Amino acid sequence: MRSPGNDVDVVRAEIIRNALTSAAVEMSRTLVRSAHNPLLYDVQDFGLGIISSEGLLWGEAPGITTFLGALPDTIKTGLEKHGTDGFADGDVLIVNDPFLTGTHISDVTVYRPVFFDSGLVAFAAASAHWADVGGKTPGGFAPDSTDVYQEGIRLTHQKLVSAGSRNEDLWQLIEANVRFPSIIRGDLEAQVAACRQGAGRVHAVCAKYGPEAVRESMAFTIRRTEEAVRRQIARIPDGEYRASVRLDSDGASDTGPTISVCFTVAGDRIRVSFEGTSPAVPSPINEPAIGARADLRSALKGLLMPLDPANEGHFLPFEFEQPPGLIVSPEPPSPCDSYGYVGVALINLAFLALADGIPDRCPAGGYQMLAVYLYRVDPRKGRPFILIEPIDGGDGGRPHADGPTIVFAGDGNVYNTPVEILENRYPVRCTRYKLLPRVAGAGRHRGGFGVRRDYQVLEPGTYLQVVIENTREPLARGLAGGRDGKPSAVVVRPETPEETTLTDRISSFGPLTPDDVVSVRSGGGGGWGDPFERDPGAVAGEVRDELLTPGEARDVYGVVLGPGNGDPAVDEAGTERLRARRGSRAEAPRR
Amino acid sequence: MSPNDRYRVAADVGGTFIDFALLDEETGELAFEKQLATLSRLAEEFMEGLARLPLALPAIGRLSHGTTVAINVLLEERGGRVGLITTEGFRDVLALGRGGRPEIYNWLYLPPEPIVPRFLRREVPERSAPDGSELVPLDLEALDREVDALVAKGVAAVAVCFLHSYANPAHERAAARRIKERHPDIPVSVSSELVGEWREFERTSTAVLNAYVQPAFSAYLTELGSRLAAAGYGRPLAIMQSNGGVMSVSRAVEQPVRTIASGPAGGVIGAHALARELGLDNVICTDVGGTSFDVALIEHGEILERTETSIRGRPVLAPTIDVVSIGAGGGSIAWVDERGTIKVGPHSAGAHPGPACFGLGGEEPTVTDAHIALGRIDPMNFLGARMKLDVEAAKKVIRSRLGEPTGLSLERAADGMLAIAETNMTYAIRTLTIERGLDPREFVLLSYGGGGGLFAAAMAEELSIGIVLVPRAPASFSALGILRTDYRHDVSLTRVRPLEGGTASDLAADLRDLGELTEPELIRYGFDRSTIELLYRVEVRYAGQEHTVTVPVEPPWLEDPAALAAGIRDRFVESHRRLYGHGSPDATLEVVTARCRGVGRVTPPPWPAWRVERPSEPVAARSVYFRQAGDWVDTPIFDREALGLDQRVAGPAIVEEWTSTIIVPPGWTAVVDGLGDLLLSPNGAA
Repeated sequence: MRSPGNDVDVVRAEIIRNALTSAAVEMSRTLVRSAHNPLLYDVQDFGLGIISSEGLLWGEAPGITTFLGALPDTIKTGLEKHGTDGFADGDVLIVNDPFLTGTHISDVTVYRPVFFDSGLVAFAAASAHWADVGGKTPGGFAPDSTDVYQEGIRLTHQKLVSAGSRNEDLWQLIEANVRFPSIIRGDLEAQVAACRQGAGRVHAVCAKYGPEAVRESMAFTIRRTEEAVRRQIARIPDGEYRASVRLDSDGASDTGPTISVCFTVAGDRIRVSFEGTSPAVPSPINEPAIGARADLRSALKGLLMPLDPANEGHFLPFEFEQPPGLIVSPEPPSPCDSYGYVGVALINLAFLALADGIPDRCPAGGYQMLAVYLYRVDPRKGRPFILIEPIDGGDGGRPHADGPTIVFAGDGNVYNTPVEILENRYPVRCTRYKLLPRVAGAGRHRGGFGVRRDYQVLEPGTYLQVVIENTREPLARGLAGGRDGKPSAVVVRPETPEETTLTDRISSFGPLTPDDVVSVRSGGGGGWGDPFERDPGAVAGEVRDELLTPGEARDVYGVVLGPGNGDPAVDEAGTERLRARRGSRAEAPRR
Repeated sequence: MSPNDRYRVAADVGGTFIDFALLDEETGELAFEKQLATLSRLAEEFMEGLARLPLALPAIGRLSHGTTVAINVLLEERGGRVGLITTEGFRDVLALGRGGRPEIYNWLYLPPEPIVPRFLRREVPERSAPDGSELVPLDLEALDREVDALVAKGVAAVAVCFLHSYANPAHERAAARRIKERHPDIPVSVSSELVGEWREFERTSTAVLNAYVQPAFSAYLTELGSRLAAAGYGRPLAIMQSNGGVMSVSRAVEQPVRTIASGPAGGVIGAHALARELGLDNVICTDVGGTSFDVALIEHGEILERTETSIRGRPVLAPTIDVVSIGAGGGSIAWVDERGTIKVGPHSAGAHPGPACFGLGGEEPTVTDAHIALGRIDPMNFLGARMKLDVEAAKKVIRSRLGEPTGLSLERAADGMLAIAETNMTYAIRTLTIERGLDPREFVLLSYGGGGGLFAAAMAEELSIGIVLVPRAPASFSALGILRTDYRHDVSLTRVRPLEGGTASDLAADLRDLGELTEPELIRYGFDRSTIELLYRVEVRYAGQEHTVTVPVEPPWLEDPAALAAGIRDRFVESHRRLYGHGSPDATLEVVTARCRGVGRVTPPPWPAWRVERPSEPVAARSVYFRQAGDWVDTPIFDREALGLDQRVAGPAIVEEWTSTIIVPPGWTAVVDGLGDLLLSPNGAA
């Protein structure tokens, strides 16, 4: 390959690349520090990036990988609408139409063009999850919408600020259509501020090195990155790698739609296709094409070059065959508000499929997306509030280590909400936040534990929404002989006569009354490798830590514990005997 | 100034050496001393080094002490066994952390292991509401039971973190009292005494890390205190804090986590002063010691600070100079990982057993061994020939531990170790500069610490930095910086309240109280009340926001609540607009935290001029392995003390002084400036 790389100052290219990434990181700091919604300042449910004037990713801040992967395509839909010369210095635009952004209507992207010497250089963009966008379900993530019009107000690349002057009508229209206008205004201001910050930094880099040097350096970086990814792909044996999973329900019947993905590796290329994937369904679990591509791009990028901050070059080697009208490519007005299940499934399917080709890099399956919303929207019942809580759970066991308990794949660097913040801001009390060991898939490297997080409702008029999937067919599948992780569940009023277990997505459950408890139990990760090969010392340690019972140690892991000095100790001979006995009738490892 | 105040001594205790600097304030004369540091007999060695200073202990007016005891314990994960007491239902907060995946594309990401394993995390019934009111009383019997169980499991320290203790610390205090009554020998770290802020995981982590370093830290300071008293030193000892000021011993023993950047802070304060003297605006401050490598930045003449630090992925909340610290130094141990590649650090051999070449029983190859094996350090002249190094021992352990498993020759293995250590160090520099969009080529690399000169030019080459500055007595530079440190005492009070006329008078009263708490602390160090400066700040936000903006408060406002409210509002709105581009002038404001920093200024010693006029010839020559040559090169050796003003030394060359060695690689030239600093540049650089 002929490369003009020799003409490029590689040190300058590296500095410019890092300066743009750092611009995005500063944007995220601005958003976090001035936002009004804990979903942004604590949970960090957002994605920020610097995108070139052609819609290529130049730099990003750690955030939600789906948002980051979708940002460049979101900007491209804006460029299609307005044209390259349709932007002015000082414009700020807004978009949340899922068919233009790839995610759901609650994720609102705000972006600002960066001009240097009156030429368009780049865009600074900030996607953030809003507390509400109107529509039938408070806080969004509707479980049961049947078209996109029910999901909230759609914005399609309008100008919030036009050449520096605010379009107040639009701001008022937005405020009139959302349930928590003061929070929304605060967050929107924070997004605008973040974009201003990012644009300023990009402008400064252009002033220092010249816009041409910036473009040239980034073209060089993207090309070099693409070459590096292709070298990684070439190491995967050629062939077709497939995996599929069935979701619980399509919303209209009891049949769940199937998501099926195939990676065809040929030399240094990967083609992604979806044979066997169900058509779009009449419930909001469809994931728009841009988002589905973004999820698979980030899955592949992470398997091939996990630690590199992303730029467009990481995604160029992946080709997509994505015919319209599938659950991974719905057309308007298909509902998309609960798009996240498909995204999390796609990422985990990539691990499960490619484990045959690159077993050292693929974790077992992780738990499916889980979240609860607690809210009150009618001001006559009390001060309106909405608490949105994505819940940590079990990630898949690794080829070399146990799976951790972290946020589900695809949600990037999203944090849990500190109990102390939660209780300060909402009429809710958290009464327990603990590891839930039983749900973890056993293995030589076990899957991550789930968690149990209990909320006590303190005021009347409070309703519950549950975001849950794959409670029938698990996504947290074991690899190399590891066991599957168990699914999530939400139990309302546990250990009372009115105990109700929810395993389907639902909204407006309630009203709950003071002292009602909602107990959220997240699923575990799939195990990696045969449990009978697990280090007996680690098993004894988990018995000591009250994460396993001695019976489980024996039955699941073949570890016999003897009387230690207070703490459980491994009975080496007994363990060897038990493991040898099972070994003679071992089941075949399964995928 | 009483005659006593004429002499000031600073001691910088590192992982391998203790450095002393003695200043005569009247003449400006400096004296330096150096002493090996062994974790098990640190206080004894401190006294041995102190005794070699040309001045008897009772004559010393002020003794200041920078310490890396706490940070080294954290970096090397060698703290004591800690037990944690939490609110019932929340023992796993420490393990769950914040649940994020900071490496967002790393599907094999693993969060750091909790410092306290689950069986040592115990719960007691108690609960406060967010406003601090009691929901469930503290169950003292359960507490006794759980703490007794922890003690039976052999914990050396206990941390206590209850929900909402920032709003009302009563339960935490009662628990701590009870634990101290029952187990007077077990130190207790109380979260609300360390951090007055919400967010239970970060507060728990801070308390746990404090407890983790406490046994080693307090044993050391307690012993040192009694040895100093026995030797006739009666004035208080001042301990360097991470924020660049000092604090008393009694406070430091309770809050060792506030000293995590104590060692680096002294060097940065010194670097700041030297940069000012030389008129340098942008400086990368690097300190290569025995166990750690620390980097800090001076940008536009200001030291960068921050309030939250993460050590190996574990958060600590405390005001600190922004220092990136990694486990890479002369004592860092090299090893071969399961994939067959060489790794360096973070474990360090310290001074005992130390590098294999020390001949004290070290059997693992360290960075110093690699320098010795490649001829870069003179084995006969280490520490002014106070210590003879064993070259054969160094070569043997590199061959057996690294060469044989990897199939590399001695030279390739030793040089590979150094290349990896250099890469680790340059990465730390990059996280501070390039990753913030700052161009390191616009900075001067200031290199100090005993090992700095061995790496400085190589790092600069990697980062395309054109000027490296190695100050005089680089190994004692941090101690020199501590001598220049102002006495500082920070106090704060977290109380969320709206900023209005009524609350402004309460706020003014609180600020005045904070000032009254601050003054006596500084008076104890010998400062006159009239010379103490009090700096007031408040942290303010819009109601509905979480994060705050820090606003300075003028002392006259404390007497006029209306002026206080108006002044804070004006400054906050202005800052918010500057930082975030928007800010309503009349929206409700909340004051979250009130702070007061007391400062007692010291007279900085002058920088003495370099008096050697005539250039000198090499004092020796020896064979040194250079990567650039890929071979052994006959290399001239210069004595730094004999180099003349403006003398140029062309690489390859080695410049030696009492406590450090400076490498001038092929293609580089060194020159002596007016203060005796050595400036290294690549040939052909501007």
